[in-house]
Amino acid sequence: MAAGSAFALVGANGAGKTTTIKLLMNILQPDRGSATIFGVDSRRLSPRELAKIGYVSENQKLPSALTLNEYLAYLRPFYPTWDKDLERTVLKLFRLPADRKISQLSHGNRMKAALSCALCYHPQLLVLDEPFNGLDPLIRDEFMDGILRQADQMTVFISTHDLADIETFATDIAFLNEGQLLFQESMESLMGRFRSICITLDDDATPINAPPHWLNIRRSGSVVAFTHSRFKNDDLAEELAAMGVVYRHLDVESVNLRTVFTSSARAAVEMAQGDCK
Amino acid sequence: MSLLKLKLKPGEPIFDQIVFAATKAFVSGEYASGQAFPSVRTLAAELRIHPNTAQKIIQHLIREGFLEALPGVGTVVSDLPAAPPGNRRKLLKDQVTALVVEALRIGASSSEVHSAIDETWQDLSPIEEIQRETLAKNR
Repeated sequence: MAAGSAFALVGANGAGKTTTIKLLMNILQPDRGSATIFGVDSRRLSPRELAKIGYVSENQKLPSALTLNEYLAYLRPFYPTWDKDLERTVLKLFRLPADRKISQLSHGNRMKAALSCALCYHPQLLVLDEPFNGLDPLIRDEFMDGILRQADQMTVFISTHDLADIETFATDIAFLNEGQLLFQESMESLMGRFRSICITLDDDATPINAPPHWLNIRRSGSVVAFTHSRFKNDDLAEELAAMGVVYRHLDVESVNLRTVFTSSARAAVEMAQGDCK
Repeated sequence: MSLLKLKLKPGEPIFDQIVFAATKAFVSGEYASGQAFPSVRTLAAELRIHPNTAQKIIQHLIREGFLEALPGVGTVVSDLPAAPPGNRRKLLKDQVTALVVEALRIGASSSEVHSAIDETWQDLSPIEEIQRETLAKNR
């Protein structure tokens, strides 16, 4: 993960996102391998490093008997970089009732409260585990605005299974599928290399010997549709010519993040099945 | 300030969408020469995009000659950069080919396409005359 990036870890429920984050935060110990944050092994994170990390999870435990004001007062001394002006700004931005007991807050307000606690000390790394689960669109926008205000001063690591939430925000993206990292790259290069392609062939008998980077191929008569995963603007005609494909019509459309993930996941499943055969 | 109200479409690269919307705002005169352009922070907050992306977009617009970074002032809109004639012809040809292919696909007639072009032209060029003058001068 590059410093200053907004790194999204994406995958279905059960893919291993929370486990990855818990390993990073030293909540779980790795059986094999290691994780490093700020150049320090996650098993040796000291309070000095932890004071530079903000962590917000959908299942975050907050002291329910305290009010948010009391909780913030409790946290302040632990963080040398705590910014009281920022605290006021964030509470106002989130419209949080800081004098009410945390147990009386709605889920949305509790998530905003957890984020406030993490933002006020200018973390260099903000780790968010499925932060958008169960948030209504209005609260989600507020939550996002809170992160964006400081996004140029920190690295953000966010796990989610909801792609629409991060499509405009993430600068880098990694896809975890059943514990395996399928890819990790910048949003720009990822969105650049996936295209939805539709070819109308000259006749409906020509067999197509598709390369493995053509995903999710569907054919009906002379029409072949697929998701190209190594698209380059000027290369497609050449690729088709090299394959001996003669076509009447060619349609190239950009795809959304959702299509990138569904076709990659499907291809991964097919490949695993192919290996078993 | 319709640029800041831009609704990002899922699927198309954010960068391209915003650069296109900005270019549209420059050629239509919505952002006139000398006017202040939104800062990285404003652009990021209003469009809900990462500041890194906003930064890249502004850098790109500066490189393309649409914007100028003035130290201590911020980023302001430049005079419209004139495309070299060869470049212009090639760009037009590519875009027109795409348009005609689409028109043939949906069965639109040549005159329908022409009136659609005229209409959009009207919408987008309130300062058409000034632009023509600028281009003539730069030639």
